[in-house]
Amino acid sequence: MSINRAEIVDKNFSKAMTNGVLPQAQRHVTLSESGLRADELVDLFESQIVSRHLDFTARLLKARNESYYTIGSSGHEGNAVFGKAFRHNDMAFLHYRSGALFIQRSKHLAGSTPAYDMLLSLCASSEDPISQGRHKVFGSVPLFVPPQTSTIASHLPKAVGMALSIRRARDLGIKAKVPHDSVVVCNFGDASHNHASAQTAFNAAGWAAFQNVPVPIVFICEDNGIGISVPTPRGWVENASLARASVKYMQCDGKNLLDSWRVAHEAERYTRQTRRPVFIHMTTVRLLGHAGSDIESLYNSMSLIEAAEADDPLLHSARLVIENSILSKEEVLNLYETTRQRINRAAEHAISRPRFTTSADVMKSVVAPKTKRREIEPTTDTERERVFGSDWRYFEKPQHMAKLINWALADLMMTRKNVILFGEDIAGKGGVYNVTTGLLQKFGARRIFNTLLDETSILGMAIGAAHNGFIPIPEIQFLAYIHNAEDQLRGEAATLSFFSSGQYTNPMVIRIAGLAYQKGFGGHFHNDNSLAVFRDIPGIVIACPSNGSDAARMLRGCVRAADEEGRVVVFIEPIALYMTKDLHDTGDNGWCFDYPNPKDEIAPGEFAVFGDGTDLAVITYGNGYYLSRQAEKILKDQHGMNIRVIDLRWLAPIDYQRIADTVKDCRRILVVDECRKTGSLSEALVTALVEHLEILPKIARVTAEDCYIPLGKAYDVLLPSRDKIVEAALALCQSKKLPAVPAVDIKKTGK
Amino acid sequence: MKKTAAVICPGRGTYTKTELGYLKKHGAAAKHLIDRLDQRLKKIGKPTISDLDGAERFSLKTHTPGEFASTLIYGCSAADFTVIDRDKFDIVAVTGNSMGWYSALGLAGALAPGADFDLIDTMGSMMTGGIIGGQLIYPVVDDDWHFSSENYGILVHALKEVGMMAGCEVYPSINFGGYAIIGGNEKALQTLMKSLPLKDEGRYPFILVNHAAFHTPMMNPISEKAFHQLGLDLFSDPKLPLVDGRGGIWQPKSTSIEDLRNYTLGHQVTETYDFSKAITVTMKEFAPDALIILGPGSSSGGAVAQVLIDSGWFGLSGKKAFVERQKTNPVIYSMGREEQYQDVVK
Repeated sequence: MSINRAEIVDKNFSKAMTNGVLPQAQRHVTLSESGLRADELVDLFESQIVSRHLDFTARLLKARNESYYTIGSSGHEGNAVFGKAFRHNDMAFLHYRSGALFIQRSKHLAGSTPAYDMLLSLCASSEDPISQGRHKVFGSVPLFVPPQTSTIASHLPKAVGMALSIRRARDLGIKAKVPHDSVVVCNFGDASHNHASAQTAFNAAGWAAFQNVPVPIVFICEDNGIGISVPTPRGWVENASLARASVKYMQCDGKNLLDSWRVAHEAERYTRQTRRPVFIHMTTVRLLGHAGSDIESLYNSMSLIEAAEADDPLLHSARLVIENSILSKEEVLNLYETTRQRINRAAEHAISRPRFTTSADVMKSVVAPKTKRREIEPTTDTERERVFGSDWRYFEKPQHMAKLINWALADLMMTRKNVILFGEDIAGKGGVYNVTTGLLQKFGARRIFNTLLDETSILGMAIGAAHNGFIPIPEIQFLAYIHNAEDQLRGEAATLSFFSSGQYTNPMVIRIAGLAYQKGFGGHFHNDNSLAVFRDIPGIVIACPSNGSDAARMLRGCVRAADEEGRVVVFIEPIALYMTKDLHDTGDNGWCFDYPNPKDEIAPGEFAVFGDGTDLAVITYGNGYYLSRQAEKILKDQHGMNIRVIDLRWLAPIDYQRIADTVKDCRRILVVDECRKTGSLSEALVTALVEHLEILPKIARVTAEDCYIPLGKAYDVLLPSRDKIVEAALALCQSKKLPAVPAVDIKKTGK
Repeated sequence: MKKTAAVICPGRGTYTKTELGYLKKHGAAAKHLIDRLDQRLKKIGKPTISDLDGAERFSLKTHTPGEFASTLIYGCSAADFTVIDRDKFDIVAVTGNSMGWYSALGLAGALAPGADFDLIDTMGSMMTGGIIGGQLIYPVVDDDWHFSSENYGILVHALKEVGMMAGCEVYPSINFGGYAIIGGNEKALQTLMKSLPLKDEGRYPFILVNHAAFHTPMMNPISEKAFHQLGLDLFSDPKLPLVDGRGGIWQPKSTSIEDLRNYTLGHQVTETYDFSKAITVTMKEFAPDALIILGPGSSSGGAVAQVLIDSGWFGLSGKKAFVERQKTNPVIYSMGREEQYQDVVK
């Protein structure tokens, strides 16, 4: 018994064209009932055949160590109808079995070379027009297919976000990437249908449609009945999806082009006209196993495998063209074989094309190339005064951070019509901490709105909106809440530039209220002090201001980075500092600041230095900076120490060499990090200092304990405090093992 | 071993004085087709292609105007196509440059029997009453046939400047490998002739004799006229895959005849003809072992080679590498060159 099912499936086709034994239709739709012309049916069939041969070729090339990807589309070729039914600028978020769909879709644009491009992608060639060999993805700029790996259905929330953005773009008159009457297409498998990210996307689409919000999206569940080795319960997808509120369910036989086309066309018409979501359940078979390395016979019976192979969609398509006297058996076989030869010839060229050989090449698109800044609408003081209303007169008076962020957001929204704000409770209520208070009244419900309570949907909404020309500023209510939506940031938003060679970006600034010090209120989930989830994500910017003046200017820097570089920015707002006014004593207003001129910005990576003492340098950020400033006064007044305090402001990017240069004349260094001892930035900082300082000063850390934040007053025993910083500083300074610090500049002496 | 090949049909301007007698020499195998074309020409009082080809002297007046040159060129191309040794070459796609698209349609079987003449003569005769605008050619590659951003920049700058001048109309007409063919009105082209620096020992820029501003919006009235004169019945399902001047693929049995007519008489007439893209798509999607450029002439060979070099096809790194490769294991067969003609025919 052969385990090479590709060979068997291939031979089955040729054999059927000889003996004429073809599977019977399971749904009877005539050519005229389907609405397809004969040439259109052949056109779809051709796309299916090209897709099938690409699968075969991928496996042959893999055996020669020339290709790196064997998950194919065999059995799913019925999805070609969706390539035809939708316009090329109906944005499509495609899963990894979309070969035929992609090939067919490319036919909308003359000059496309989908087969060759897919071969380049299989070979990880740097000439692959979308990812340059960084991943095997379906993607294209001219075909409006943003690339993603789609393995865990994490592309569904952003597809919903994109659908929701279409009407908003029209209403706000922003320069959208897609036409106002476009719809969104998103396909996935029956196993992926169970992913939380898929379920939340269906829910979010239904939730919006239930309120008559336009959500023009067509979900396509390609149900082959098995997820790698686990069968999908018979009828599960249908039963789970049939009665979903406000999402229309349609079903088709994905092995029958006529039936599939009829449904695809109907769904396209329905969604385009009504702007309401559709869920198409397309049943089909999976052929050739899950991937090249998967031996299906280990977990599936031969009779089931052979039954699927006998039900091959290509055999069904062959039956249709023969039954309708469009092609003879010989012509079908000729088409099949000439296509094989064509793909094989192209493959021999594709394998000779260059591949990346340096890390610099691979990393080039972690951040997209800088683009020209978009038009910024100038504002006058008169206009600002009108928009700010009663706040205008308080501009001269120092304010706390929450107020200054609010004003910065307002100024940003005034100058950039494509900035939108959304999140839980941020509109009418103004957010849990009033940071967005009054913005709804200033800018209206199209630009600042409440979402459903689901962080995955919020970030999906942001990614989708960013795909359509917006600069979204979504809010995550509490830092701990990001964790159930982490993949939208880590797996989707952050990777888009990488997978698309910088051709697609999803610029956004994610505001997150976080960190601890809430005087015992809220417990862990409102005091989460771990930023590790963000820190290792390549390409993202992480901001964490310690005061209102910085926050306003950094926010502007964040929006600029999003606008010009397409950056994904995480803006951590320390909750405890939102309303903090005093620094040392009650009523000193030491932590209130003037609202900075709207033109003042702080760019990512720019850190601040307070003081010029050399006894000790404290490197910190956020609440740590605030506490360190308190400690600095005590150390100076009571212990005669002259220290400097560095506020990193940005946790990514960090120029460690510049930090080292800034502290190299200090005899001791104290790293104060309000996050946990394990996994916090403090670890990286100490490592970087060791790596970058030629003569190592004494270094110590004050960090939070490796624990969750408890309710009540016990919170402070776990976290860095003013007094702990003072204590650590004194301990460090009393150490007898002080290294000699050179009196002269090391660089100048050349040592 | 049998090779796969894509066939390229040349455009206007390829029958020059050196091609005089081409049909006489190579047309025997296509006698039936040539006779048919001659009869149709006679019927409408035009000189036959046999007469033109057999003339003692080449004359710009009788050999280059579209109403005469088009059928003559098609006749030569068709004759060459007929004699390609199918035991040596398996033709996997057919494409063409500019009027070569009409030839491609005819040779790939995408025109009804006899309709090749109707399409080619009608489209070729559209300028009989007076030529609309003209075409100018300018190189955008360096001496080794690599894209030259400097040359390209000079051209783009000049086009921008001329385009803004009162009374000037100028458009990209054909992307012809390493050459840009610009379509425009007389004033615009004359201004470009003065403003563009001379290239290739003063050979470029030059204006193509008796050519109109093909493939530009200036041809809109021609397109309208063509739709009026040439019906759907002239077109049929291609028997071989075709690649058009956008890089669009037309496959046997899956071609919409209506779309094919719309493209041929619409976009193809009024928008830029991207011959470079046609070659690129042909290579990427059909990956032939070789390219056969039909006669007459061989002036398309350089442009095709430049496209291949641009994408590194066949490992070609530049003009020198191409010339070397051609000596031992040719990738382009120009049937207009006698020695390569012999390599292709039986």
